[in-house]
Amino acid sequence: MTIEQKFTDLINADIDGDISEAEKAELQAFLSDNAEGRAMHDELAALCDTLEGVEQEAPPPYMRHVIMNSVPPTGSKEESPGFLQILFATPALKYAVTFAAGVFLTLSMLSSSQISNQTFDNVTGLVGTVAEPVNTTFARSVTLSETDIAGTVSLRSAGSIMILDFDLVSTDHIEVQADYTDRTIWFNGFAQLESEGTTVSAEAGRVRLNMEEGKRRYAVYLHNQGARRTTVSLRFLADGKVVHQAKLDYSPGH
Amino acid sequence: MSKTDDTKLIERCSAGDRQAFEALLAEYEKPVYNAAYRMLNNRDDARDVTQTVFLKVFQNFSQYDPSRRFFSWIYRITLNESINWLGKANRLEPLAFDAADEGKGPEQQLESARVSATVQAALMTINTDYRTVVVLKHFLGCSYVEIGEILEIPEKTVKSRLYTARQQLKDALTELGL
Repeated sequence: MTIEQKFTDLINADIDGDISEAEKAELQAFLSDNAEGRAMHDELAALCDTLEGVEQEAPPPYMRHVIMNSVPPTGSKEESPGFLQILFATPALKYAVTFAAGVFLTLSMLSSSQISNQTFDNVTGLVGTVAEPVNTTFARSVTLSETDIAGTVSLRSAGSIMILDFDLVSTDHIEVQADYTDRTIWFNGFAQLESEGTTVSAEAGRVRLNMEEGKRRYAVYLHNQGARRTTVSLRFLADGKVVHQAKLDYSPGH
Repeated sequence: MSKTDDTKLIERCSAGDRQAFEALLAEYEKPVYNAAYRMLNNRDDARDVTQTVFLKVFQNFSQYDPSRRFFSWIYRITLNESINWLGKANRLEPLAFDAADEGKGPEQQLESARVSATVQAALMTINTDYRTVVVLKHFLGCSYVEIGEILEIPEKTVKSRLYTARQQLKDALTELGL
């Protein structure tokens, strides 16, 4: 026996709570005398309970950051200015003060021949000043979209200075390794923006950054005497395992 | 979030306020992602569609009609993007029972995960028109009127599709042993 469409509709309406008193009474009268109707009502009610009980899927933790990074900056009400905007604001802002560490340190060390490609560690907390904004040339950028870490890393250059801009968010402690095979390149400085908690160490051919979970924006400065063509290899490790690798090529004139 | 709250946020977004956009993103990220996932049966695709949806929203605030509710606009974009995605991937329904075999990690041992996967598998057996109303009604909690507004179809059609969809889902779930 097939249930009349009218009662099928009333059963569904009743389950959804979208039924008038008169319709409800009509449905009750029908169900009291129709076992097939009662079975359908019970089955559909159970189905709806099952559907309502299905847990929502959690979006990937990095997705929000990736979306925000994909949205172009617009308008005058920007409340969180970009890395470059702050860095090259005139007059130099707070960030530039930190940025100066690299330049200041390099100049002083170069003049005293203290560094070249020698290892030196624990370089956080350096301060200095920048008198003039620096014009840079964008070279390359890479985008990360992993479960543990997401964001972008960009490479710029200003004469013999190469700047790696990190704009990242992580869900865990992450170690970032930036390797450069050209041993004449050396670590030149480090600056953090809007956050703390990233430590940096440098050795011949490699800079290591250790960042805690959360949003981190920082820059690493490398000295590339003669602005030679080179490649920076990036590795991102979580719990000692590589979760992402990328390369950033630098060519003079780009 | 109330319509008033959404309207204020959208006004700020239209003026280029990224913080307001991030607030909208926080509010709608999960339902949009879930709608896409239930339509597509694939988490990576759902992620990509979600990103596309929010980028389109950001780029098209000027086209948003403030007399309509924001969620009806963003859900409509989500469903259209999901259906387009299905078409592009040449994966028109039915997609068989992939979800039931998906991700056999430990968490899938849990009963709730099994039910979720089976429901998803059943969802993929019904056509996109029916799946769409089920997603809107049961996964996004929309009323008949709201579904009609989102899909731009009469309320009567919403009910008709939903009732048919439920019957088909019930049969599919029975076949799947739930």
